[in-house]
Amino acid sequence: MRQPSFEWTRGPAIPVVSVLFALVLGGLFVWISGHDPITAYAALLRGAFGSPYDISETLLIAVPLLLTGLSVAVAFRAGLFNIGAQGQLLVGAVAAGWVGAQWPDLPAIVLLPLTLLAGILGGAVYGGIAGWLKAARGVNEVITTIMQNYTIVFVMHWLLQNGPMQAPNAFGTPASAPIGAGAVLPVIVPDFLVPSSRLHAGVLLALLATVAFWFLLWRTSLGYELRAVGLGMRAAAQAGIDPRKRMVIVMAIAGGFAGLAGMIQVSGLFHRVYDGFSAGFGFDAIAVALLGKNAPLGVVLSALLFAAFSRGGTLMQSDAGISSHLVEIVEALVLFVIAAETVVRAVARRWGTPVKAVS
Amino acid sequence: MALETPIVEMRGISKRFGELQALADVDLTVHRGDIHALVGENGAGKTTLMNILYGLYRADAGTTRIRGNEARIAGPRDAIHLGIGMIHQHFMLVPPLTVAENVVLGDERGGPLLDRRGIEARVSELEARFGIRADPSAKIEDVPFGVQQRVEILKVLYRGSEILIFDEPTAVLTPQEVDDLFQIVRTLRGEGKTVILITHKLREVMAVSDHVTVLREGRNAAQLVTTRTTPAQIAVAMVGRELREIAARSGTPGDVVLEVSGLTAPSDRGGPALKGIDLGVRAGEIVGLAGVGGNGQSELAQCILGLRDASAGVIRVGGVDVAHDDPHRTRRRGVAYVPEDRRVEGLVLPFSVAENFILGKQDRAPYARRGILRADAIRREGARLATEFDVRPADPDIEVGSLSGGNQQKVVLGRELSESPKLIVANQPTRGLDIAATEYVHERLLDQRSRGCAILLISSELDEIRDLSDRIAVMFEGRILAVLPASEATEDRLGLLMAGHVEAVGERSGTSPA
Repeated sequence: MRQPSFEWTRGPAIPVVSVLFALVLGGLFVWISGHDPITAYAALLRGAFGSPYDISETLLIAVPLLLTGLSVAVAFRAGLFNIGAQGQLLVGAVAAGWVGAQWPDLPAIVLLPLTLLAGILGGAVYGGIAGWLKAARGVNEVITTIMQNYTIVFVMHWLLQNGPMQAPNAFGTPASAPIGAGAVLPVIVPDFLVPSSRLHAGVLLALLATVAFWFLLWRTSLGYELRAVGLGMRAAAQAGIDPRKRMVIVMAIAGGFAGLAGMIQVSGLFHRVYDGFSAGFGFDAIAVALLGKNAPLGVVLSALLFAAFSRGGTLMQSDAGISSHLVEIVEALVLFVIAAETVVRAVARRWGTPVKAVS
Repeated sequence: MALETPIVEMRGISKRFGELQALADVDLTVHRGDIHALVGENGAGKTTLMNILYGLYRADAGTTRIRGNEARIAGPRDAIHLGIGMIHQHFMLVPPLTVAENVVLGDERGGPLLDRRGIEARVSELEARFGIRADPSAKIEDVPFGVQQRVEILKVLYRGSEILIFDEPTAVLTPQEVDDLFQIVRTLRGEGKTVILITHKLREVMAVSDHVTVLREGRNAAQLVTTRTTPAQIAVAMVGRELREIAARSGTPGDVVLEVSGLTAPSDRGGPALKGIDLGVRAGEIVGLAGVGGNGQSELAQCILGLRDASAGVIRVGGVDVAHDDPHRTRRRGVAYVPEDRRVEGLVLPFSVAENFILGKQDRAPYARRGILRADAIRREGARLATEFDVRPADPDIEVGSLSGGNQQKVVLGRELSESPKLIVANQPTRGLDIAATEYVHERLLDQRSRGCAILLISSELDEIRDLSDRIAVMFEGRILAVLPASEATEDRLGLLMAGHVEAVGERSGTSPA
């Protein structure tokens, strides 16, 4: 009879409130541990944005977070839970690293697009497998993508330690041979602006991917179909949109975003593939997507926030002597509050409408 | 009678939910020993008013007098204490317990040990007094809806209720069960009980009630004596205007459009849902598929659409076998579908009206070109269809989930009927809709019939089936028991067939296609 009020729960209010809440609660932890919360957060902020160099380093962390965040978000839009962004990132990195090192003498105009394609395709195939298993066999994508995350880690051990990708004269951390100069994403910040900045063209690719994410979901027939499957699977099915096909497609797209993240880490930052490379981005991605409400701008902002936590937390420890674990506490609290949103909604509904019947 | 103190007297009742004025200054007077019908469209406020009487809501203004004394009813407990009982639309029974155990549940007299013999005897006694038949030792999960409802009535009587409120009691019953229910209601009246019957079905009002209170948009629209009124008069009070006559039947039907033969299909639980269906629908013809819900009607609709795999048999649409096509291909052949559950199957609720209009058409002109959506065309067509199909508000950008049931169904119709389908499969197209919306759906279906469309109308509303159909097929346990011309399909005969009595076919009109 009556729409539940609390329309504000739909906008950015919940993410903003949850971040603030988490910061306050995190500050409380700092205070209990005998430090000054203001000092701690000031150090964190300085670490993340204190100088042009700090900003460029923060952005560098935001790039893979943004892309894996988009990966999780696109799957969410179609009603699937992609826990496998980490694995898809690694497959993209391996594919890009292999292509980049295989033909090191090719000119950039050929090798860079090839490397890019290899990264995206690698991730897409890996994600697509999980989608296909769900569509054809009804296997829960949460389970398969988690298992895939482990699979690629062990495949990488083999590839890099005594397999075909092992660099001939690598010592220390197992790693692949370096990629050719043509596969490298150039640094886009000139030295006179930010001395020795590492910020590469990958940041532009990530922004382009964000636009592509928006365009796909809200401007194409396929995107409409994905959203329809996510919001009303049976309605979509009876209208002739086969949810199973869309599951495979969306998981491949999700894998593509994560694979691009892997390619950018190789081509822009490390110029080779290391064992144990870029750990953790794909998991933070779930938080990034949730906090960003699976919306393009939201994911960009929350990727920046998590990048700032990560960069600032490290400096907070070295400068102010406050454990960087504080950052983990704050991140966990953010997630906690976001997860509690469903509870808040349920309570709001209970308050908003009268009790209907007794039993 | 007018001099006697009314048993229930509600005066000036108002209730507001946020923006919505659900009730405004409503009066209700019910006399002892009366069957009082409380009628109105969906959202007219009848259930709200009864929930106030039963203590589930508190009124913002107004007084309630029971047997002449002002009553403050703060909860169902107070209501029960005053002798008011409610028989809910959705039964609140414990399936593994017996009839007798459910009746006494929450009111076990004589200590913690359940005296099975004793309670069964007491329940039998109640049954005898009120002419209610239900085996006290039968388990609830084993008895049909009609009997479960009797248990709800017994529960209320067991607590000593004098005033019984029935909330839309016939929604889930077969015609015979409805007759049985009305017999019970009359016996209750004979025993001095007072009955308030919430309904929007005029036939039931005329059949059983003594007095009628009509609500419209939260206000009193009429207070009538049943014997001195007509269904038309009540309908005018409910809707606020004259009802339109249903159009006369069209001319002769054309070619066979839908042809189903020997169709069998499994149910979701694995057993057979369809056991050899033969059925034909011609162009310009409405074939009604009557039956109690769950006898395979929905599975048949799903098979035709391609949502369910047939295990054997042929489904031809316009001469082409579509039995193994998916919904995408079937729809391309000009098949439209009005699903049973519009909120789950018919619409994507968080999508806008315009977005729902293009569901299934999102990849073709005018809504898309080369895979890119054309936002301007989608909005323009959305606004046009919203106006043409009378969606209120006629705003293409509004979220469908926020519309009323009737307007949601108009969005479904707008999508399904706007591209001149050859065949429409409509499954319970007016379920839960009020009179005005039902009328609208019927008119649109009849328009399609005059245009030459073949229509398979699945409904558990016999009136709807009989008003619209040219021929009526009755389904029971996965089979079609008979196909009757509408003129031969009396209510009794359909009712018996729906209950599985094949002998009711009489001079069998044949089950061959078309």
